[in-house]
Amino acid sequence: MIAYLSTLVVLVAISALVGLALNLQWGVTGLVNFGVVGFVALGAYATALLAPALGWYGAMFVAALLCAVVSAVLALLSIRLEENYLAIVTIGFGEVVRILLLNESWLTGGAIGIADIPRPFVSLVSAVHYDIVLLLFSVALVAVIFVLLETLVRSPFGRALRAVRDDATVAAALGKPVLELRVKAFAIGGAVMGLAGSLHAFYLTYIDPSQFTSIITAYAFMAVIAGGRGSNIGLLFGAGTIMALLEAARFLKDAIAVIDGTQLAALRLGLIGVGIVLMLILRPQGLFAEPRRRVHDFFPDDGGP
Amino acid sequence: MMAQLILNGLVTGLLLALPALALTLIFGILKFPNFAIGSMLTTGAYAAWIGNSLLGMPLAVAAFFAALAMAAIAMLSDVLVFARLRDRGSITLLVASMGLSLILENICRFAFGNSTRNFAFDVARPIRWHGLRINHEQLITAVTVIICVILIQLLLYGSPLGRAMRAVSDNPSLAAVRGVERQTIARITWCLAGSLCALSGVLAALDRAVDPLLGWNYQIPIFAAAILGGLGSPAGAVAGALVIGLAEELSSLVLPTNYRQIVSFAVILGLLLLRTEGLFGRKAVRK
Repeated sequence: MIAYLSTLVVLVAISALVGLALNLQWGVTGLVNFGVVGFVALGAYATALLAPALGWYGAMFVAALLCAVVSAVLALLSIRLEENYLAIVTIGFGEVVRILLLNESWLTGGAIGIADIPRPFVSLVSAVHYDIVLLLFSVALVAVIFVLLETLVRSPFGRALRAVRDDATVAAALGKPVLELRVKAFAIGGAVMGLAGSLHAFYLTYIDPSQFTSIITAYAFMAVIAGGRGSNIGLLFGAGTIMALLEAARFLKDAIAVIDGTQLAALRLGLIGVGIVLMLILRPQGLFAEPRRRVHDFFPDDGGP
Repeated sequence: MMAQLILNGLVTGLLLALPALALTLIFGILKFPNFAIGSMLTTGAYAAWIGNSLLGMPLAVAAFFAALAMAAIAMLSDVLVFARLRDRGSITLLVASMGLSLILENICRFAFGNSTRNFAFDVARPIRWHGLRINHEQLITAVTVIICVILIQLLLYGSPLGRAMRAVSDNPSLAAVRGVERQTIARITWCLAGSLCALSGVLAALDRAVDPLLGWNYQIPIFAAAILGGLGSPAGAVAGALVIGLAEELSSLVLPTNYRQIVSFAVILGLLLLRTEGLFGRKAVRK
């Protein structure tokens, strides 16, 4: 039971991290990233390759840094143009990562992948109780990232990001460095996706390219749309609900005998598509609308006009 | 060897030309990149496969009905999804098109599974001509695409409908003042794009086989072609498609064939760095 609970919590934690990252990039700053899965895979592989040499924390740090740098480069290349270009560049990036992982087997193990990835805090408890440690570790990781990102969104930096999203021209006219803000937000988001990849690697202890499909990207978009773009609390709720629903959908297979594994996978992904489209049309602000902060929230003593 | 690669490249390019045209036409009218383009290709291929293999139609007839069906599906997706989001900006539209892409692709996967399917179509011996190997599939692709491109050019530059489409693409408000309705033009463009995608889906499936990821595999080359041609420029999309096709085939001289998709991505990155309006575009997209 505790094993299953731990699995569920870790899965929710991974998708929450990915969702929080996408929420910063797309929800708060308005930058579409269709290559989410590429960054997660990059983070997971960096962790898997470096953890034996650097230890788990060193590997996580480098994975996050690497993803941040790659994000920043992609963003620099395309954000100065119309926003549309970032979407296609990130899709291309996702595909390129997949091709490299499959074909550069000297580094990545090709289709077989990498096994025996060291996990954090293994020496503390016996293997029997390790599930609990991993559960606590992932909850702690999500909590830290959540607090950091929430602080960021409430800071003047976060306000500037939302200004850029809502009207880049006005933000530029007010002297905000639009390009720099976008690149920074995209890089921070990329780093968090890298951390999600690390957690993924620690959880499974073996990784191969088949684990990193566009499903990860689709879930992240669904979580951000469902939770409400720009709202981190909503995002956590959205990611949790979606993972719970998807886990519940596994049991559908036993209930409905005519559906086979492929059909179930297709049904889940197709429903995610329906969910994205329906939410965009019917409730674009999501279940939890982004909080409308007033001057008073930032300067309580000031009173405002 | 070299001549063979160039021939293959030109045919691959022609294959990309129709979806690149579809992408660029929709971008011209509605100003958003339609990420469902690949899945529209896939759906069209499956529609033709149903007609051809299950209902026993000749492939050409099945392709015709697939084009009609895809036109209807594209129109329906505009009525149900895109028309309702018209005023929300291109970001919302492109995320919605990604949602539509998930829906279409997974309807195909749900109904037909992941296994590959082939048309009931006799594979004939390739023609040999001056040392070149020309498949019948390549001939069919070349002839179909060239006829389609000529028809589209005639439509755009020789008919009142084409003039209306170009007017809306250039300046929707001005077109509206002159009595050209954007909504009607948008619907017609969707139908046109749908049938172009279905036809190219059939041609792509002749080259490979029908499977749920058929269109997705062409997604990046299609975008590369349309961006290379300058998004919104129909003639540019065709020229861009030929360049991408050639670049992909010729890359096999220096790169392992697994890396062909990276060529298109590299072209996009190069264009973004050097020439943002595409090779043939007139106006810059820089904000």
